Amino acid sequence: MTDLNKLTLSEARKGLKSKKFTPTDLVQSCLDRIKSFDKKLNAFVTLCDEEALKQAKTADISLPLGGIPIAIKDNYLTKGIRTTASSLVLDEYIAQYDATVMKKLKNAGAIIIGKTNLDAWAHGSSTETSDYGPTLNPWNTDHLPGGSSGGSAAAIAADETIISVGSETAGSIRQPAAWCGVVGFKPTYGRVSRYGIIAMKSSTDSPGPLCKTVDDAATLLEIMSGHDPYDATSIEEDSWKKPEIRQNLNGLKIGIPLSYFPSQIQPEVKKSILEAAETLKKLGAQILELPDVLDPKYSIAVYTILQRSEVSSNLARFDGIRYGHDRSFFGTEAKRRIMLGTYSLSAGYYDAYYLKAQKVRTLICQDFDKQFQKVDAIIGPVSPTTALKLGATKGQAMFGELQDMLVEPSSIAGLPGISIPCGFDKTALPIGFQIIAPQKREDLVYQIAKIFEDNTDYHTKRPKL
Amino acid sequence: MSDNLITDSVFEHTARLSRLEIKPDETNIKNQLIETVKYVEVLDELNTSDVSPTFQVNHKSNILREDKVEASLSQELALSQAEKVSSGYFKTTATIDKNK
Repeated sequence: MTDLNKLTLSEARKGLKSKKFTPTDLVQSCLDRIKSFDKKLNAFVTLCDEEALKQAKTADISLPLGGIPIAIKDNYLTKGIRTTASSLVLDEYIAQYDATVMKKLKNAGAIIIGKTNLDAWAHGSSTETSDYGPTLNPWNTDHLPGGSSGGSAAAIAADETIISVGSETAGSIRQPAAWCGVVGFKPTYGRVSRYGIIAMKSSTDSPGPLCKTVDDAATLLEIMSGHDPYDATSIEEDSWKKPEIRQNLNGLKIGIPLSYFPSQIQPEVKKSILEAAETLKKLGAQILELPDVLDPKYSIAVYTILQRSEVSSNLARFDGIRYGHDRSFFGTEAKRRIMLGTYSLSAGYYDAYYLKAQKVRTLICQDFDKQFQKVDAIIGPVSPTTALKLGATKGQAMFGELQDMLVEPSSIAGLPGISIPCGFDKTALPIGFQIIAPQKREDLVYQIAKIFEDNTDYHTKRPKL
Repeated sequence: MSDNLITDSVFEHTARLSRLEIKPDETNIKNQLIETVKYVEVLDELNTSDVSPTFQVNHKSNILREDKVEASLSQELALSQAEKVSSGYFKTTATIDKNK
């Protein structure tokens, strides 16, 4: 049995159930792929090969993810497994408990094959700031995979795993998914528990899946979601459930914010997004231009202040006393962010920066409320460009913020969104578009994404390694 | 807001508050802070005098639970990742000078 690693989740489950292959075959196939290509791609920080093969032998395939290999972003605490957040501060840290999401995935039968690379502490949109070196984009290894969940996105694109999970604070699922040509589903803030995910910007951190298809991502979201008393901001609802698939989009209004097409947008990206809109129109949706959506430049500023502020607070706990190394192990990027956060929260500056940003956040939320009076969902580019080259982040104090300008507004407002493949540029780098809906309306996001995917074949394309 | 707020002494004070040592090859951080602070001034374009802040997007507050003891990490597991332990405790550097 060859190329089992290339299967989607639903294909792998079908094969396991009909006994065409065993969980061991499936895990071994992914591990072989990793061994062949990951020295170059560097999608994984830690491999769990022995333990994964051991678990495969006793896997219960009647469970929803029974016997399925999963790659976990290395900011999820995984009991007994090294968890670094791609920072040398945690180089030797062995997690003492499982994140709530990790427990849910394990209970569903998933087999951890390894922990994936990220920008150190998830600070970035390139995976270039990892203390373990950058992950390379499987479509072209001179290019970045995006980030911060770049390792998970690259592992999916390179078929090194069947499914993966990441986390998004402002673009960290959607942007690497777009740059690597895979599906990334960012849930409503509070839909998936943050407990046991190393905190970055607690007021927007949203764990979610990165997969090969919309349906696979939705299956994972069903398993990952649900109220968790250990996360005080967790939504008090049971697990999210996939809605019925729509046969068409009749009666649905979809908006395109004109401000999501900034002057620096790559023409091929713009063209692909407009073509995606045309496809949705053919499927029955009414497409409306939204001329008065708040300029994303304000979201960049709000995000920058709030992210740095929350980071300076969240990273204060890393003192080298209870776990990890001391603060001299922080990299330059983390130091820069902690410094700005400390500054914006300190006496004399709090009102001018932190409080002002929280007020503008209210305006951003109100702006979305206003737009969702006119339309059911919003679509737009995920990133203004396709994957940039290695080194693009060097010396750029705000690389991530500018790169993520089109995903920051929805993250700041806690909205659900998805990135799905919708084309390629002339150098064969993938392009993704995003679908955004009001809070808790993952059902709409899923339905639109699913019908688009069923009527296009971009998601079936894979890079030649 | 103005870019000359981050003077050398403000920068050093912020590093001290952050408990970070800025190495000689990282002094560029100061210029990047100035650059970032300058960028965020764009928010001054928006009038927020009558706007209340949104600290939390799902509008929750005061999530409480009953004061009941629940299972937690064992002492052994809790100490397992510390670099320095002593008699079942975390070992820290002294914060009080015993000679004073």
